[in-house]
Parts: sequence; C-alpha cells; structure tokens
Amino acid sequence: MRRLPEEDPGTPDLRSPIRYVLWLAKLQWPELVGGTVFGILWMVSQALVFVAIGNAIGGKERLSTLLGWSAVVIGLGCLQAFSGRMRHRFAVTNWLIASYRSIQLLGRHAAETGPALPATIPSGDVVNTVASDAIRVGGMFDVSARFAGAVVAWLLIAGYLFASSIALGLIVMLGVPALMILTVPLMRPLHSTQSVQREVVGKLTALGADTVVGLRILRGVGGEEEFLGRYRAKSDVVRLAGNRVASPQALLESGQVLLPSMLVAAVTILTARLVVGKTLGSTQMIAFYGLSAFLTMPLRTGIEGIIAATRGLVGARKVIAVLAVQPWTSSPTEPARSPAAGGTLLDPASGFEAAAGQVTALVTETPEEAQVIADRLGRFTPPGPSTHSAASLGGVPLEDLDLEEVRTRVVVSDVEPRLFTGSLREELAPHARFSDAEIRTAIEQASAEDVLEALANGLDTDVEERGRSFSGGQRQRLALTRVLLMDPEFLVLMEPTSAVDTHTEGRIAGRLREARGQNATVVATTSPLLLEQADQVVFILDGSIVASGPHAELLDTIPSYRALILRGNDA
Amino acid sequence: MSMLPIASSSQVRSHGLTLARSYRRDLIPMLSLYALAAVAGLVGPWVIGALTQDIDNKDLTVSRADVLVAVLFAAAVIQSVFTFMSRRRSYVLGETVFARLREEFLGHVLGLPLSRVERAGTGDLLSRTTNDMDALSRTVRFAAPEWMVALLTAVLTFVAMVIVSPLAALGVFAAAPILFLSTRRYLRYAPAGYLRERAAYATMSGTISETVEGAKTIDALRLSKRQSDRVDADLGEACDAEMYTLGLRLRWFPSVEFAYTLAVAATLLWGGFLALHHWIGIGAATSDAIYAVALMDPVDRVISWLDELQVGSTSMARLIGVAFVEDDRAPTGEAPADERIEARDVRYAYREGHDVLHGVSLGLSRGERIAVVGPSGAGKSTLGRLLAGVDRPRTGAVEVGGVRLVDLDLDELRGHVALVTQEHHVFIGTLADNLRLAKPRATEDELRSALEAVDALEWAEQLPEGLETELGATGYPLSPSQAQQLALARLVLVDPHTLVLDEATSLLDPRAARHLERSLSAVLSGRTVVAIAHRLHTAHDADRVAVVADGMIIELGTHEELLSSDGEYAALWASWRNDHGGDVVPQP
Repeated sequence: MRRLPEEDPGTPDLRSPIRYVLWLAKLQWPELVGGTVFGILWMVSQALVFVAIGNAIGGKERLSTLLGWSAVVIGLGCLQAFSGRMRHRFAVTNWLIASYRSIQLLGRHAAETGPALPATIPSGDVVNTVASDAIRVGGMFDVSARFAGAVVAWLLIAGYLFASSIALGLIVMLGVPALMILTVPLMRPLHSTQSVQREVVGKLTALGADTVVGLRILRGVGGEEEFLGRYRAKSDVVRLAGNRVASPQALLESGQVLLPSMLVAAVTILTARLVVGKTLGSTQMIAFYGLSAFLTMPLRTGIEGIIAATRGLVGARKVIAVLAVQPWTSSPTEPARSPAAGGTLLDPASGFEAAAGQVTALVTETPEEAQVIADRLGRFTPPGPSTHSAASLGGVPLEDLDLEEVRTRVVVSDVEPRLFTGSLREELAPHARFSDAEIRTAIEQASAEDVLEALANGLDTDVEERGRSFSGGQRQRLALTRVLLMDPEFLVLMEPTSAVDTHTEGRIAGRLREARGQNATVVATTSPLLLEQADQVVFILDGSIVASGPHAELLDTIPSYRALILRGNDA
Repeated sequence: MSMLPIASSSQVRSHGLTLARSYRRDLIPMLSLYALAAVAGLVGPWVIGALTQDIDNKDLTVSRADVLVAVLFAAAVIQSVFTFMSRRRSYVLGETVFARLREEFLGHVLGLPLSRVERAGTGDLLSRTTNDMDALSRTVRFAAPEWMVALLTAVLTFVAMVIVSPLAALGVFAAAPILFLSTRRYLRYAPAGYLRERAAYATMSGTISETVEGAKTIDALRLSKRQSDRVDADLGEACDAEMYTLGLRLRWFPSVEFAYTLAVAATLLWGGFLALHHWIGIGAATSDAIYAVALMDPVDRVISWLDELQVGSTSMARLIGVAFVEDDRAPTGEAPADERIEARDVRYAYREGHDVLHGVSLGLSRGERIAVVGPSGAGKSTLGRLLAGVDRPRTGAVEVGGVRLVDLDLDELRGHVALVTQEHHVFIGTLADNLRLAKPRATEDELRSALEAVDALEWAEQLPEGLETELGATGYPLSPSQAQQLALARLVLVDPHTLVLDEATSLLDPRAARHLERSLSAVLSGRTVVAIAHRLHTAHDADRVAVVADGMIIELGTHEELLSSDGEYAALWASWRNDHGGDVVPQP
C-alpha cells in the first residue's frame, strides 16, 4: 500500500477528461491490475458455487459425491473470502489514489494560483470540485475491479452454457447486453428528477446554514416564526421533489427485478426441455438456473460501472476546469538583477513613492483608488491591456523581477487580511521561526496583547478556520502582527486600523514608526491618528498627486484634504 | 464557547420509536406490500426444487415444465409490481419523515435562548445543520427503510426454508456464530472510524475553502507552500482514517463471506444427507440449498446497513440534542409601568469568580443619548448586553418600568429594547423578505418608508427587481454599508423605544461609517440610545458620556462636565481634538 498523499502528484494531462483519467490510470497501473485479477477471481468463485451445488445434488446419489462437492463449496468460499478481501483492498486503494491525486493537484493549484482562481470560478464551486468531483473521478477506479470481474463472469457463464447448448449460450451472450440496454431508458427519468432534487436540497441546506449564521440577528429582531414558515415552505418543495424521484427510482428497481427474470425464465424453460429430451440432467437444471439468477449481479455491476464512468468523466471535466486557471502574474524567464536595498518603490502612474526609513500615508477619495495603487505597488494586477506602467523597485520594473523576490521585498497587507487554520504561533510567523519574546514584541507593536491574554493556550492556541473565533478587530491586529514580524523592506498596509477602537488605534499609530525601523512603510488610511504619525502624507485625487507633506500642513493648506479627513465631524 | 447538548442513546431510541409509531399508518402498508414482493421472489427456488424432484421421479414433461416456468415468470412479474408499489411508498415516507425532522430541528434552532445564541460559536450548530442533517438524511431516506426491508426478506426466506423442510433449514445456522462475533467486533469500532473519516473530509473542505477565499493573502504573504502542505496533511489524515476503516472491513468482510458459503455448504450437505436417506425429497434439498444462497443477500444488507444506522443515530443525537437547551427566561407576565430602563448595581461573570462588571448602576432617561466609551475589554459590550436584556446579571437588576428585562416575554422585550452589533447579515430571500423578518405584516409602504428613513430607498429601488430582488449568499451582493442600512431599516420596523448600539458602525470603511451615521441618526431620533463607541466623534453628540474602565463606570456626565473635570475622558478628547485641528464644535 502506498503512503498517501504522494510527495509530488505529477503534471496532469489536461487536454480532455479522458486523457486526464488515462493519465491517472497510468500512474496506478499495478493497483488496477491487482484489482482486476482479484475482481475476476471473486466474481467467478461466486458463480462456480452454483456448479458445485448442481453437481452435489444432481450428480450420482452417493455420500462421497455429496461430501466432495460440499467441500468444493467450502473451498470456493475460502477463495471468495480471500479474493473478496483483496479486491476490496485494491478497490479502496485505487479510489483513494485517484481521488487524492486529484485533490492534491486542486489544493496545490488553489494555493499557487492566487486571486485568479476565485476571480474565475466561485470559491463554493472549487470546494465542490474537491469534495465531490474529485471523489467521483476516484469512483471510476473503485468500480473497475468489480466491472472486470462482471465482464469475465458473464463471458465464462456464457461459455459454460455454450458447451451444453448453443441456444443457451446465445441467450446469455446476447441477453445480458440486451438487458443493460433495456435498463438505460429506466435510468433517464431518474437522472433528471434527481438533478432537480439535488438542486433544491442544496438550496435548503444553504438556507439552513444561513439561518445559523444569521441567528444572532434573527433572534435580535424577531421574525423566527416568519423565517420558520419560509423554511417549511422550502422544505416542502424539497419533499415534493423527493416524491417525484420516488416513482422513477421504484421503477428502476422493479425493472431490475423483472428484466433479469426474463433471462432466468428463458434459461430455465430451455434447460427443462433439454432435460426432458435427456440431453441434460438435474445437475445442469440446478446449475443453469443458479448461474442465470447469479447474472443479476454482473448486470448490476455493469450498470454501476457505466454510471460511475459517466460521473467520473463529468467530474474530470470540472477538475480540469479548475486546474486550467492560470495565475495573473508569473516570473519572467530571465529576471533582471535585483536592485540594491535602500532604493525606493515608485508607482509611476500616480507618482506615489515610498522610501526607506519612512512611513508614507496614502490618502485617496475612495478606498478603491488606494486599492488600485496598492495592487500596482505589490504587482497584483490582472493581465490584460494595462493602461498604466508597472511600479518599479530601485528603478527596475517589478515585472522584470523574479516574482518571489517581489513578494519577499514588498508585502501588501490587504483590507481584509485572512487568517488560516493552524496554531497561533505558526499563523503569526509562517516563514521564519521567532522566539516567543520576538513574537510578543510584534504583538505589542500591533497592540494585540489583550487578544493573546484571553487565550488559554497562548501562542499554542489553534486558530479556527478563517480565524472566525476572533472578532474583526482582533483579526486585524493579529494580521498586523504577522506582517510586522515578516519585516519586509516595503510594507503596504491597507486601512490597518479600521476595525479597532480609538484607544487601540492611537497605540498602534504610535508604535508603528519604531516597529518598522529603517524599512519603508505605506499606510493607506484616513484616520487622523495614523496620518499624524506619518513622515509624509500623499494626497491623491483622480489618480494623481494633489499634495504631499506632513498631516498638519495638509490640513491647514488643502481644503479638499481637510474636508475628506474631517468629513462627518464638520457637518 | 459552550457546546450544545447531545441526546443520550435512549432518548434517540425513544424518539425513533415515537416517530415510527406516528407513521405506522404508512409504515404497515409499505412493509406488507414489500412482504408480498419478497414472497413472490421466493417462488424461483421452489420451482427449481419441483423440477429437480420431477427429474428424480423421472416424470418431467414439457407441459409440466412449461407450467412451472410460467409460474416462475408470473411470480417475477408480481414481485416487480409489488416492488414498485412498496418502494415508491417507502421513498415518499422517507422524504416525509425527514422533512418533519429537519423542520422540527430548525424550529428548535430558532428557539434557542438569546444568551446561548449570543455566546455560542456558530461552528457546532453549523456542522449540525449541514453535516449531521446530511448523515441523518441518508439514514432516514435509505438506510432505515432498506434495513427494515432486508430484515423482512431474510426472515421470509428463512420461513420459506422451514416450510419446504424444517429439518434441512437448520443448516443455515452454521453461519450464525461467525456472523455474530465478527459483526459485533466490527460495529464496536466502525462508527468512530466513520465519524473520523467525516471529520477529516470536513477539515479538508475547510482548508480548501479558506485557501480559495484567502487567495490574495496567500499570494501576498507567500503562504502557498504552507497551504498546499496543509492540504497534503489533511489528505494524510483522511487517508489514515480511510485505512483504519479499511482495516476493520478487511477483517470483517472475509469472515462474513466465508460464513455465507459455510451456510450454503452446511445446508447442501445436511439437506443432501437427509435426501440420500430419503428423509426428505431431493426437491426439498435443492430448494433449501438455493434458498441458503438467496439468504446471503438480505442478511448481508441487514448487517452492512448497521454501521450507517449507527452513524445516523449519532447525528440524530446531535440534532435532537438542540431541543434540550433550557430556556433562559421565564416570563412572569408583569407589565412595565413606563419605558424607563435602569441598571442597579449589576455584576456579571462569564466564569465563576471572575466578575467583568463590578456593581454598575445606570439610569436612562427617556429619549436621552448616552455614549459609552473606554478601552477594549473594559466591559462595555457586557454592559450593553445586560441593558438589552440578553443576559441575566449575576447580582443586581436591569429593569424597564420596574420589571426585570429577563422576566419579559421575548416579543415584549424586543418592543422595548434592541441590541445592534457590528455584525450584520443579509438573509437568503428578497429584500422585502429581509425586512419583514422584523415585522411580518408590514405593508409595502411601511417597508419603503423604513428604507427611506435610513437613506436606502434610492439604491433599493435601483436593484434589478426593486424590493423583490433576491439577496444573500446566493443572490444580489450588497455592499457592507448597504447591508448595515438594511439592518437599520429592520430596527425602524421593530420600533423599540431604546436602542443599544454596540460598535455598530465599526467594521466599515471609516468614510462609509460616517455617512452611515447620518442614516443612523434618523433611526435614533425620538429613542433612548446607548451607543458603545469606538470613535470619539460620536461621543461629543451624546447627552451624557459614560467612561467604562475595568468593569466600572469611572466617569459619567455631559461632554462639558467631563471635559471640565479633567479626567480620563478629557485626556482622550484632547488628543482627538488635536488631530482634528482643534476646531470641532460640540453639538448641543
């Protein structure tokens, strides 16, 4: 058994769903062969039991015959148990290898593609591709062993019957595929009603989750009855959709009772006539009946295989769609030489500039304007006809530099920086190891001491998914701690104090200069407390600099600046 | 964060039985139809037994064979008809029962006590609503009916064997000890194993979704290697969980499969032996041997649904457990004499022995506006929740018109005081639906004037379908400030005389927040307001300012009084004023 997941999932063939599935198959062929061998043994050993029963009862009426064939049944039972165990083992292994390889590829791709992925495919769809489509791709490999067994058992049974009678052999040979074809129209209405059902169930689940997430609000304003009524109405829609599935589902099941019975009846009547004509005896009577009844199993497996293959290919198509999304930015093939430290970060489009050892505030009329400039400073711009030239670091355009170097030297902390699952220590210092004292210093600089104090396990506390156990203000300060610890040459902070109270904001503003030392800091904000601490405030309107200088000076000399910063207070 | 209760297994069992009893009018016909189908399915082996007996007696004729096979085919037709009827009823019943269970569950969720909802994290409840609901859905809709049907088929097959030959039927018991022991062992470990699998996949989905949603942060902070390592680690855990249950099955399956063939071999040998000595006919021996084979399938289904049923009952325990949360308020029916809210010497502790409020008293005059300021963690929000009647003070009392807030019926309470927090949520549904939560029978005009009051009518009417536009997670996206205005419009509709605003505007872009405060002031006019404030510029508008520090009100008075007393507030104000160029004129 391989240890999953593997170190390297490999480079997939994304040209088509079939090619993708074949690529997966090639990487696990020994397991697929193993599954096939044991799948065949398992299915065939079950079929042979009927031959043994026929011989035990229909053969010469002697105790030794009976004992011998009963022993054969036991032997077949042992073979079935062993091959069944191995078959299951290989089936699960095959399923896991294929699913996990797909998930691993998706996970890596999601982590490496950056904002391009959520901008192209809604994040819920990506999660679904992982949670259900990748698993369905694996489902094809799961059923493969039994499918092979089913095909071989069918051919062997047909061959066994051919040996006694060509007509009987033909019935089985042609009957099984014919029944499969007859089953297809029974599946179609089921398929369409089920997809309707899945859709409404999905909506109801979303409504349920929505209730829980908004429960505090709901309990605050009232309207529980109203809401419950709405949920009941939707729940009823789901119930009715389920009822519409009931008939096609029951029809398919009753078809799967009736159709194989036609085969059994045909085989039995023909065998009985051959027995009357003394060509065959009761051994064949019992064995042939048993074998024809047993064919139900390969038949069902065959149908299951076809369904799994169809779903698997649909799943593969979705997996490919996610894996095909390209990141917006990448490193040039021949990166330019790194500019020396101590240079400036310049956005030529607006003229905005950040210099070493300085805290530069960026003030714009709307948050969106500041975002555009920050995206250029950090090289996050989506590809396409760009109207503005890129930012440059020490005179070298960021596009010409290795992307890893840009990300290391210029760190942009977005308006809503995310926290991720993991211990708080790892979250705050994801790259380098820091001593607890160093982490605590950064926590103080971000004025987040109270967040740490409230945690029973301190830095070893596990951060929940997306950091949702923290309040918005706590998350903001922890994210600030994280980037302060990274201590990059250039740090761009977007509205770093928007969710904290005035006291805390004042403390953060007061500690920022010292925390950043000789490195360059850009703060996009309109908070007077932060602006007051900046060495330089750059005020940008409509994409170009209107004024720059200390906060107090701009307040006195630039009325539009004054109006923006004091808006709401002068009114 | 406190976990919600989980029902005991006896509570789950009695809930299940009550449910089965209340649906017996549907259950009994469904099972009866299925029994008829199962009986028809037992005709085949009997026919083969009869044919074998005839061959042995050397009196098989073509016409006799034709009749017997015709019986076999007719039985198959009957079986398929009854299968259709019973299955259809079974699916419909499953949907009905499950619909009732989910509606009951949501009813309990919506009835959770305010204090519990305010404090408990959403994680536990959310996983009950999605994962457990999903697991229970499989159990109620498939596992439970399949299991009942399989059990019925197994019993009927055995009865058929006994009818054909009571003596020969004993052979199948050879399998019983192996089946029983191996299955018991499997079931002891399996449910925990499957729950672990489920948890592993839930964690993995969580990692993927935070990776996609946090894509920009990951890119900006070079976290991609770490996130993909995390996906790999989640897969490793999922793989371990899968390997554990695989190991359990690899031990269980072979014993079970061997047990089945043992039963067949024993029945064959025993029946053949009896036939050799002419104690039973060869036909009976044949039929029983084939019945023994036929018995495998239903017995297998009976035992292999057991793990799913166990997992389902775990989910059921978590779902019905929500109903066991005790209500935290017992309305006394007293009617408040007036609309004055007063807190007297209240103390409050989240953990025993750790009071976060130390004897706070505060009386609100009708229509006044109080700003509560102070550092984070001073107890401002706790005070806010007590004043809004969400939590019960440990000692002391918060009363409206002489009646404790926690003694009021919830609907009555909401008419007096509302708590507005920084959280806002747009529910799935139309804009009108979102508003009507606050006042179910509000007319269209009332909705419009509520929107107008908060300065939101303009954008609301510009939505693709106006007030009927679908909003929320799956609908038209609102900006945070629009969502906040929506929340304020709901307040206008609820129309309480007192509002407690807990940092209600803090999560917004500061520029939007100031704009929003203007729509807020429209909502506030004419009401008593307690504003727990982040930003001082709201404080100077207030009639009175309360400075909270270390769980006590250390300063209380008008803006001017506090400035002249030269305390904490004055110092804070000085620094704020300085930033604003020193020309902010306090409003009367």
